[in-house]
Amino acid sequence: MRDDKGYKIRDSRLINICKNTASRINKHAVDEFEIFAASSVENEIEIFKGKVETLSFSDSIGIGIRIFKDKSIGYAYTTVLDESSIEDCICKAVSNCRITGREDYNYLPREEESAFKQKLIGDKYLFREDFLNYGIESKVALVKRLETLTKGKDARIVDINNVMYDDSIYETAILNSAGFCDKYKTTTCSIYVSAISKQGEDTSTGDFFGCGRTPGDLDLEEVAEKAASRSVSILGGKKIKSQRVDLLLDPIVSAQFLGVIAGTLTADSVQKRKSLFEGKIGQKIFSIDADIYDDGTIPDGLSSKPFDGEGVIKGKTCVFKDGYLKTYLYDTYTARKDRALSTGNAVRASYRSTPEVGISNFYLEPSDINFSQLLGDIDRGFYVMDIIGLHSGANPISGQVSVGAKGIWVKNGNLSYPVKEVTIATDILSFCKSIKKIGNDLRFIPSGGYIGSPSLLVRDIMVGGS
Amino acid sequence: MIEDRLTKEILNTLLRNGADFSEIFVQRRVSNNLRLEDSKIENSSSGYELGCGLRLWVGDSTFYAYVDSLEKDKLLNAAKVLSSSVNGSSSLKVLNLTETKSSYNTSVKKFPDKIHPGSKKNILETVDKSSRDFNSTIIQVASSLSDTQEEIYIANSYGAFSFEKMVKTFLAVNVVARKGNNIRTGYKSLARTSGYETFDFKNPKSLALEASKIAVNMLDAVNAPAGELPVVIGPAFGGVIFHEACGHGLEADAILKGASVFKDKIGKKIAAGTVTAIDDSTLDYHWGSYKFDGEGYPSSKTVLIKDGILRSYIYDLRTSKKLGAKQTGNGRRQSFRYIPVPRMSNTYIESGDEDSGSIIRSVNKGIYARGFAGGQVDPATGDFVFGISEGYLIENGKISFPIKDATLIGNGPDILKKIEAVASNLDFAPGFCGKSGQLVSNEVGQPTIKVSKITVGGTEN
Repeated sequence: MRDDKGYKIRDSRLINICKNTASRINKHAVDEFEIFAASSVENEIEIFKGKVETLSFSDSIGIGIRIFKDKSIGYAYTTVLDESSIEDCICKAVSNCRITGREDYNYLPREEESAFKQKLIGDKYLFREDFLNYGIESKVALVKRLETLTKGKDARIVDINNVMYDDSIYETAILNSAGFCDKYKTTTCSIYVSAISKQGEDTSTGDFFGCGRTPGDLDLEEVAEKAASRSVSILGGKKIKSQRVDLLLDPIVSAQFLGVIAGTLTADSVQKRKSLFEGKIGQKIFSIDADIYDDGTIPDGLSSKPFDGEGVIKGKTCVFKDGYLKTYLYDTYTARKDRALSTGNAVRASYRSTPEVGISNFYLEPSDINFSQLLGDIDRGFYVMDIIGLHSGANPISGQVSVGAKGIWVKNGNLSYPVKEVTIATDILSFCKSIKKIGNDLRFIPSGGYIGSPSLLVRDIMVGGS
Repeated sequence: MIEDRLTKEILNTLLRNGADFSEIFVQRRVSNNLRLEDSKIENSSSGYELGCGLRLWVGDSTFYAYVDSLEKDKLLNAAKVLSSSVNGSSSLKVLNLTETKSSYNTSVKKFPDKIHPGSKKNILETVDKSSRDFNSTIIQVASSLSDTQEEIYIANSYGAFSFEKMVKTFLAVNVVARKGNNIRTGYKSLARTSGYETFDFKNPKSLALEASKIAVNMLDAVNAPAGELPVVIGPAFGGVIFHEACGHGLEADAILKGASVFKDKIGKKIAAGTVTAIDDSTLDYHWGSYKFDGEGYPSSKTVLIKDGILRSYIYDLRTSKKLGAKQTGNGRRQSFRYIPVPRMSNTYIESGDEDSGSIIRSVNKGIYARGFAGGQVDPATGDFVFGISEGYLIENGKISFPIKDATLIGNGPDILKKIEAVASNLDFAPGFCGKSGQLVSNEVGQPTIKVSKITVGGTEN
């Protein structure tokens, strides 16, 4: 049986691929170039009723080549790394330069353009040697245990409709003609469970997840407990009348809202006039003293890395301080346009795509108010445990947000009865103003980047029901 | 793409430790992507991918691995490693391979690799110019054009193999309009399983104008109401309601896991008698069409609901075997990197006989939902949402003001019974559907329909 115990570190192989590709590109007439090489080894395990439903292994490697010629950029990638395929890839990238727009800012990052000067994080935190000690059998056992644990949490849980584990060893290297050549590697794993519960005619589902750098980081007990309680606590849920009420957002929900806000804070969306925050630097956006950071160097942050998708050093950027907007997030291209420094926010989804401005570990600083204090602050309101339809219900450009929600009705500071099939609607700027209190229970979710928020008390939001 | 002899050797290597089934999926994919924003081509990217997915079954368990290569040694090694994961009791061996036939036969006229890059650039520049010329409130136009040319070879231990060459083209336009502090967007896409003749079918300029009109219209949008109202859902993309409210719940993996509200409902009335719904992967050139599904089974037309009665689920090979049903050719996968699962192809509500105008006139106070941003469902409970991106108030039987984006929320089995009227103007819209971490091409479709009552997620009480 294949497992990761025999994994051999590939960084020198990736660097060699980059170097060999570079010497090939040097035979072409180009101004500058960049080679991005990435390899990933992944396992995915799904269990159903105590048995392995699927077990899949993948091992892939690929390169993406960015060519700069006459102030234009061309891109091509390949997963086939023989000499002729790499040569074809180079030729395609060169010819792609011919149709893209020219721009004076199109050249590789220079060292002095980075907001951060020193690498703050490296393989020591990102790549955990003990990850390699877990064989596939022990990972399968972990998933089976989560299934059993979750099912055992409550008698009303009738089925576990989805329980899965996945992990990856990811290695990457970037080499460019301006002299950058570096690499890093990461290990990550995540686990997920969804539980179906029944009471009379009513069915409810609830899910939860855990993630970390090594299977040992995963708290199965907590994942099982949360999934089970998220499932059974909504049983018997009913629709409520449409009304404006106070909302208490679970961290899982507030982090998703924060994700919508995060997307509008990239300099790219601002410069293209697609951001609600255009022209708002220095303005008070939140009515309370909220601090929001993008920090690519948190030791246990899953989006941490030493440098970004174009080789610029990662650091910690304060985006909001005391509710005031301080800065947008930049890669080098957008920084040049604004005469700013790159915040190290060039993100690459894979070798298949070019770098784009995006978040890393993006979070709202917690306060010292606990959940029951927040709850106690609500006379009439709705504790929102889960939302559905954010990708179709939030328009980050217009700022309108309307999503489905379920949770528990709150009366005089106490949880009352379950609520489902209702909507909550607002727009991003009013939402920021409506946040009245921030909790102390910061939690991160992997979604685009790694987004973290505590519970939030939000005043006077429209809930749509009957 | 690989020799018969090697195929058999791989299939048999996969079977050697007693597996019940083995399969090899080979894919070569050449793709090009062009993106325009700020009136300039921002990105021109090309990709080349070649790989092979290996699958085997032992009992109820599926084992899967893939390799980014077609080299004989690598493939055989991967097959050896994968088969060593299992310990089964079957003793199967593949001796002969027979080609599977499909009735889906379309021809491509304008192959992407024969189109000059300058012509591709022209398409996006036309989109940009047409949109910006349409109205001075338009401040941004983002458009992207992508094409793929693929070859897919699939063989399995039943001794069947299939081969398909597939060409796809996709154009999307997102227009941003601004008036004062109001920023609104309009989105349209055009996507076909064909070459660049896609743009003879519909020209880029008219797509740009449709998107621009939406963005500009929406500048005057009023707050959407909150609460239960009658909703008239427009043709084409309106079909996303069926896709979410019912389609996903009919995919047989959810049935098999007991995670669908439509389990044990075959032969039962699950929708209003006016509703007939179909999944058809054989519609010529449609975005969700194919010759063979991701398991080498021919595409087909499946009646899901006939006059309100549930007739069939949507199956892949594994679920059809387990549930003892006929395979429907819906085992789909994003690429060689993924395990096939049951997925919709082109899924639509069949035309009825009412007039779309009189459906609107029948509503005193309600919503006309014309454009959508997509949706989501929890098949186990049937609870679904879908987001309106172009909607209007209906007042006294007439369409009045545009409304701001709002989500509709409902429960699948409940909503299907509330479809009161079905018009005769069936149309389709392309999109991508995500499930199990995989994106595949889909079309949704329907004529104008009326749902008697559904919760609208606006901000106005």
